[in-house]
Amino acid sequence: MSRKLLFLVISVIYLVLIAFGLTLVYSIDTSKPVKQTVSMAKDNKISIAHTEIFGRLQRPQVVFDHKKHEDAYRKEGCSVCHPVNDKKQVIFTFPKQVRGKGRKVLMKAYHDECIDCHKKSAAESKPTGPVTCNNCHKKEFARLRMNYPVAEFDFYDHNKHVRVMKEKFGKSDCGQCHHTYDVKDKKISYSKGAEESCYYCHDLNKKRGPEFAAITKAAAEKGLSVERISHQSCLNCHLEYRTAYEQVPNEQVHKIHREKVACNVCHPSNDFKHAASCTDCHIPLDCAKCHTGKYRTVEELKDVPRPDRGQKDMVSLDTRNARMKSVSFSHKAHQADSRTCRGCHHEGLRACASCHSLTGGPEGNGINVASAYHSVFAGQSCTGCHNKIKANKECAGCHYYVSAMNIETMNSKKDTCASCHAGKQMSMPKPLPYSGSVKEDVQIDVLAKEFGAASFPHRDVLNKLVRISNDSKLATYFHRDIQTLCKGCHHQSSSSAEVQMPQCRNCHMADNDRHHINKTRLISAYHRQCLGCHEKMEMTKGIKCSECHKKNTAPLEITQLKNQNVVRQNTSTILNAWHPK
Amino acid sequence: MDRRTFLKIIGTGIAGSTAGNLMTPGKSSAADSASGPEFYGILVDTTRCIGCRRCELACAEVNGLPKPDISETANETVFKSPRQLTETQYTVTGSFTTEKGTIFVPRRCMHCNQPGCVAACPVKAMKKRPSGHVTWDSDCIGCRLCMVSCPFDVPKFEYGKAVPNIQKCNLCWERFTQGVLPGCVEACPTQALIAGTRRDILDEAKRRIAANPGRYVEHIYGEYEAGGTSHLYLSAVPFDQIGFRQDLGTKPYPEYSSFYLKSVPFVATLTPLLMLAVGAAVKSGRNGLEKREEKHEEKGKH
Repeated sequence: MSRKLLFLVISVIYLVLIAFGLTLVYSIDTSKPVKQTVSMAKDNKISIAHTEIFGRLQRPQVVFDHKKHEDAYRKEGCSVCHPVNDKKQVIFTFPKQVRGKGRKVLMKAYHDECIDCHKKSAAESKPTGPVTCNNCHKKEFARLRMNYPVAEFDFYDHNKHVRVMKEKFGKSDCGQCHHTYDVKDKKISYSKGAEESCYYCHDLNKKRGPEFAAITKAAAEKGLSVERISHQSCLNCHLEYRTAYEQVPNEQVHKIHREKVACNVCHPSNDFKHAASCTDCHIPLDCAKCHTGKYRTVEELKDVPRPDRGQKDMVSLDTRNARMKSVSFSHKAHQADSRTCRGCHHEGLRACASCHSLTGGPEGNGINVASAYHSVFAGQSCTGCHNKIKANKECAGCHYYVSAMNIETMNSKKDTCASCHAGKQMSMPKPLPYSGSVKEDVQIDVLAKEFGAASFPHRDVLNKLVRISNDSKLATYFHRDIQTLCKGCHHQSSSSAEVQMPQCRNCHMADNDRHHINKTRLISAYHRQCLGCHEKMEMTKGIKCSECHKKNTAPLEITQLKNQNVVRQNTSTILNAWHPK
Repeated sequence: MDRRTFLKIIGTGIAGSTAGNLMTPGKSSAADSASGPEFYGILVDTTRCIGCRRCELACAEVNGLPKPDISETANETVFKSPRQLTETQYTVTGSFTTEKGTIFVPRRCMHCNQPGCVAACPVKAMKKRPSGHVTWDSDCIGCRLCMVSCPFDVPKFEYGKAVPNIQKCNLCWERFTQGVLPGCVEACPTQALIAGTRRDILDEAKRRIAANPGRYVEHIYGEYEAGGTSHLYLSAVPFDQIGFRQDLGTKPYPEYSSFYLKSVPFVATLTPLLMLAVGAAVKSGRNGLEKREEKHEEKGKH
């Protein structure tokens, strides 16, 4: 009897355990797919989720309508919700006061500030917002993802600010935005000609050298990230000038605008009782005006003047005691090819050699001056940037096969080095001359039996290469004579050779070389060179077989010896006859 | 236990462990490969493959299989679906769309240094040749253990035949014995495939990676995977993007089973002894107990 009872108890426990396990497995909350992505910039809405603190949210995120609140407190100003520092600058954080750290403190701060204000407005019988949970934490927001398009203050914006400040407000003081921080005195100061980018000190995510790291540390302690300081300094200034704009009397505004813009720009749908805000055009305050989500390309920034900080147009890169001749570097030509100064000057706006010494050292992070200029992949080095351009489709056709300029592999030739290390100022060579005295078409008939001869438009190809080379400044500088272009295909021909280019079959055997496995056979040399170039240049022509090989018969037997010809058994005797080399 | 029985047990144990080693043929035939002739293999450079499928045609020709249609029109449709080896296709070329454009990958038997299929085959129909070729013989009984044991899903079974066999690439073993390159290597128009001793092709693969910084991911697939294979692959993108398994580890497959196979003789010889011992102990214990009880009863009587 007791045994039966024991059995019953054990089986019940088992059942309970199984049921418990099943419920555990099936109650795992799989992350639901995001239903839709909304751009925050579109109508000034901000998602309040703080998943970095709260983790998985108990209730859906709050999508906060900033525009609505902004309009409601237009007269009272931003300080109703945002704290103000001792310089009377608004600090764009919310809630105003968070006492302590942690989830509960933050949650309480939000709830206190939002709900208290809503209750207060309701008591004063003003228009007000929700006070119950579900009216802010709406279910429809649960599967919504906000994205925040980038805002970039590029050279175009910089130039515009410098110009407008000077012309309209008569201020040519760069110290309004630019400053440096003295770590010892703990003071901000500005000195003319030493302006730097905000990112050097305020980009808290990036590891910097010792000098900037100290400042970044101080900035991090105060929580002055790029996001925070750009809102703080941009918006405070914009708010200030908005008031200046709004104080201009109506008559004067009409006088200025009448000639330049149509009426409906300021009076939409010809409503002449109301006018649009000045900030719609002049001093942007709406999110979307700055957060465009677009970076201006190098092309768009080409004609924008770069900030003048007293930099030289031509710099002679001459390291003391270096054995190589100096390089004459056109800073003027190169600064137009970069979207930011930071692209090359990664550690403050100074010369490379000021940190990267000839022998390398801790101040240059162990990178000596030779590596600093020649590092194959670094975005800041000469070679790295040039290699990146050579990977573009216009260049990649030839440069895929020309091994990258790399001082570490020591495959550079003397004339390669000399094209930069000239020891004097090199002039920009004239575009390549082309006489047109090459063969027009070349017949390639290696596979003629099977597919028919392929016709190669030799002169057209050369014409195109010359055109591409002449279109690019970089290519024009380095392709100093027409032979450089020929070398793209005729890779082993020497420039000192008289006229004759060696033919492919002089080196490439028709058959596989069993003893030199790296050796390219003739058919492979043709296919890899032709197809490789066509593919790398992303050409639409000359990719398919039939575009080169006219005769498109069914393939013949392509192999000689068949596996079936040899008896499968008795292979051990054959193996003994085999010698590896 | 007397001295004689003890020595017997020890002797059986040693003999058993030796037998266990012999039961893993894949391991035993490849373990001392450094002293034998160097394995033969193929280096596949996926950056060079243009997806012409001539290797497939050559393979079919060489092995007397149905010839595939490799015309341009056929290629357009063939590459649309993922491709698998079959019993009549010892090599297939797959197409993968990656961040670096379309990449073609010819796949076939990897010819592992220590093949799982050879270790699994109960009749030694799969053989690892001293030259590195993993070949298949007509002794096959169709048990399909090799299919289960292969980490690359290579051996294929002729489900449609009355007397089915396993089929797979044998690295053109017969052509090799005649001193001719494998059919696919001979047919490749871009030398995406090159054949040579494993040491040579490994050197060449490393040379290519070093000479072209940035072109390849710095990994040679097959150098260490599943204990190393005779087929080596180079790629411009991480290998999981072009259909290669990254979870194989570097342990040769036969070694996963060697512990269990080695322990079989021990278990087989020691378990009966243990059981006998336990039985004897229980019996003697019971006898002793009975005797004591008897004495106790006798005492009680007095």
